[in-house]
Amino acid sequence: MTPLVALEDAAIGYGRRALLTGVSVAVQPGDFLAVVGPNGGGKTTLVRTLLGVLPPVTGRRVQPRPISVGYVPQRDQVEARWPLTAAEVTMLGRTPRIGPGRRPSKADHAAVAAALDRVGIASLAEKPFRTLSGGQRQRTLLARALAAEPELLVLDEPANGLDPSAELATLDVLAELHGAGGIAVVMVSHRIEAVLNYARTIAFADWEQGIWTVGGLGEAVSSGALSKLYGRPVTVREDGGRWFVHPGPTPMQNGFRAPRDAEGGER
Amino acid sequence: MSAWQTFLEAREIWQEPLLAAAIAGALCGFLGVYVVLRRTVFVSAALTQLSTLGLVAALVVQEAAGVEVESAAVQLAVATLFSVAGALVLGGLAGRRLPSEAGVGYAYVTAGGLVVLGSARLVHAAHDLGGMVFGNAVAVSGTELAALAVVGALCAVAHLVFGRRLVFVSFDADTAAAMGVPPARWDGMLFFTLGLAIPASARALGALPVFAFLTVPAASSLLAGLGLGASFTLAAALGFVAATGGYVLSWFAQSPTGATMVALAALSVPLAWLAGRRRP
Repeated sequence: MTPLVALEDAAIGYGRRALLTGVSVAVQPGDFLAVVGPNGGGKTTLVRTLLGVLPPVTGRRVQPRPISVGYVPQRDQVEARWPLTAAEVTMLGRTPRIGPGRRPSKADHAAVAAALDRVGIASLAEKPFRTLSGGQRQRTLLARALAAEPELLVLDEPANGLDPSAELATLDVLAELHGAGGIAVVMVSHRIEAVLNYARTIAFADWEQGIWTVGGLGEAVSSGALSKLYGRPVTVREDGGRWFVHPGPTPMQNGFRAPRDAEGGER
Repeated sequence: MSAWQTFLEAREIWQEPLLAAAIAGALCGFLGVYVVLRRTVFVSAALTQLSTLGLVAALVVQEAAGVEVESAAVQLAVATLFSVAGALVLGGLAGRRLPSEAGVGYAYVTAGGLVVLGSARLVHAAHDLGGMVFGNAVAVSGTELAALAVVGALCAVAHLVFGRRLVFVSFDADTAAAMGVPPARWDGMLFFTLGLAIPASARALGALPVFAFLTVPAASSLLAGLGLGASFTLAAALGFVAATGGYVLSWFAQSPTGATMVALAALSVPLAWLAGRRRP
């Protein structure tokens, strides 16, 4: 299958300084890739390189054809002081589709309304962005990404600073979008439990330990791999088709059944 | 004859300066919304200083070469060159070791120091510099007015046509880049228009009013709590009113023109604060 975008044996970083080396990853249409690792592990740098915002230090980035991208940055990177309404922020996602000197068309307004509705904040459309709560701003940024009608949706720590309810609601919206629309999703998180039950493919990134691995959930997620990534004991268990991650005791001490690999060994 | 009649009969004296004040006030007021929201207020101060350095450099070279060129166009062209180059460099500063303000401060003090050193070498042309640095909105030549009108038209067209992209990269550069709106290109255009507008306006009004119009009307319009489009319109209107009103007021009050413009602009801040108190 032709990927939407891929990195081939790339070193990623800033200028000539590589943070992660040997990075090969391809995002296929309909994929859901979670990029997980500790804070400062190089996840955002990876995503920026994947999107073409940063050039790879070495290796290459491949994008076989132009694609529409929706991007949700970390919320604190967006300047809330600008006097824009939620609808105006969302309309910025249509910018690549609105020609120079043109005003937004009816289709643009309809796409913005649909995006706001989809993330559940249609009633806040005319509210100033700066007056919204953290969760509402996060949803506005997600709506902006959706208004672009993306083939590839990239989210950088979308659950940061959200309460558990807002976090789950955001992730459920993503799962629904991914399931219904076939959008490829790349999601960055320092909290593996936030993404484990949504992703198909998972990548671990930590430049301090030189860790870069990518694979399907079944092959990549294990207590050993996560303990190494986080530098402390971590337990992974699967229960009723859902994955759980806990810091601390081994699965047996905690009374959990650890997932088994193909040979029946504990992962 | 009343003072008002005297003023009207002296139209030939004030019509070009007043028109220049109107254009520069509205133009700087409009651009100031970007300047304030992007937290680049001191970039405009540094650019004003750099354009002055360009003027001094032109005058020093003219005197050293023994060329008697009383051409505002040449001086303005060199000032614009310095300002545009400075705008493109300062606008793109994103240091990892130093905050970009340090680069702006460096440009400001270095240009300021070189202006003093260069002016000390000037013998005949020192008077040309006075108007540029301290403001001389009283006398504006036809060339200066024409240059300002052309710059104003260019900036208006650029912002009308590409405004949405300029707002996107200013509001959230990372997302704009990810979604195919390259910040380097559009930031470059934004700072290019600033680099053009500042020397043309400063040549007509002086450095202090230009710095004021790039800051105060935008601050007032944002304090008023309006939306972005309305903030651009109000800032341009406030710049227009402060520049033209200040000019006329200074005529009747016999006060320094540039300072009167600045004082009038400054009045808009508390008024806007009062007006915006009840807005979210």
